[in-house]
Amino acid sequence: MSASLAPECNEVKERYDACFLKWYSEKYLRGIGDDNECASMFKDYQKCLKVALKDRKIDKLLDEAREDSKDHDSVHLKRK
Amino acid sequence: MVLTHTTNHSYTHPFPTVTLAFFLRYYSPQLNPFSAHVLSTDTIDSHVDPETGRLYTTRIHLKRSRMPSAIIKLLPASVTGGAGEKSSYVLENSIVDIKEGWMKTESRNLNFTGVLSVTESQHYSATPPDQADVSTLSSAVSRSTSANTWVSTTFSYRSSLGSRKTDKAVNNEENSRGRFGWISGWGAKRIQSSIESIASNKTDDQIIKSRDGMKMVLERLRSNGVVAVLRELNRREGKSAFEA
Repeated sequence: MSASLAPECNEVKERYDACFLKWYSEKYLRGIGDDNECASMFKDYQKCLKVALKDRKIDKLLDEAREDSKDHDSVHLKRK
Repeated sequence: MVLTHTTNHSYTHPFPTVTLAFFLRYYSPQLNPFSAHVLSTDTIDSHVDPETGRLYTTRIHLKRSRMPSAIIKLLPASVTGGAGEKSSYVLENSIVDIKEGWMKTESRNLNFTGVLSVTESQHYSATPPDQADVSTLSSAVSRSTSANTWVSTTFSYRSSLGSRKTDKAVNNEENSRGRFGWISGWGAKRIQSSIESIASNKTDDQIIKSRDGMKMVLERLRSNGVVAVLRELNRREGKSAFEA
């Protein structure tokens, strides 16, 4: 099971991952598009992760990356 | 300058399975032995666009020493953070459109960007590249029967070492303007292209490993299906997330 960058978030992350993969394989891939199923687990996970991203200053790296993709390319992920 | 490197490949697995393998490829070294360098994987965004039905996902991976050691040796420790800090954060964005049968992904490093920015873009498709223009109806038909998935991968390398932006970033982090004197001016372009070419020379090896990893995940999915695969991994790790 892949770890979270923040060990204290591992448990909530695993719960969310399990939910996501089940939803993705059994619902999304079969064209049942509702994504609310894992929402509460995602919320718990993000609550934990946000603190960890801030502590490790990764939130700043993310902001820089967003700034950078405005300056440069990112043609690839533009909508079709 | 930017160096780019594009390759095409096809998997003998249907498109939905390949997208699942993409999400699972760093799940466990037991599933993908080529993922042992991935220390962590976190999802920071995941939502379905209600209009298009497309799934947008953003993840952060922490990978061990993805910067080639030849480049690390070329640079002062003030840039690389010394020998101890060789892990890099990678930001991965993906969009899956299951109805139209395509997935686009883009991965880029979050740190060391002052030295080298590597972007890996992939376009997965249920239809071969030369059939991309056929009508929606016939591609939908061929998709439902297609056992293959086509992928085009482009790596791009851009070094901005010695540029104004880098110096600013480095000054913010290190507060050491003087240390970068050696790299400014006429030498900067040369060093930038050395870094870009060293990194790009590593690409083939990297692509083969990542493809082999995907194939191993795909084989496991083909023989067992995702729930069984995950249950088995959890059982080995003494967990029970899928037992309920």
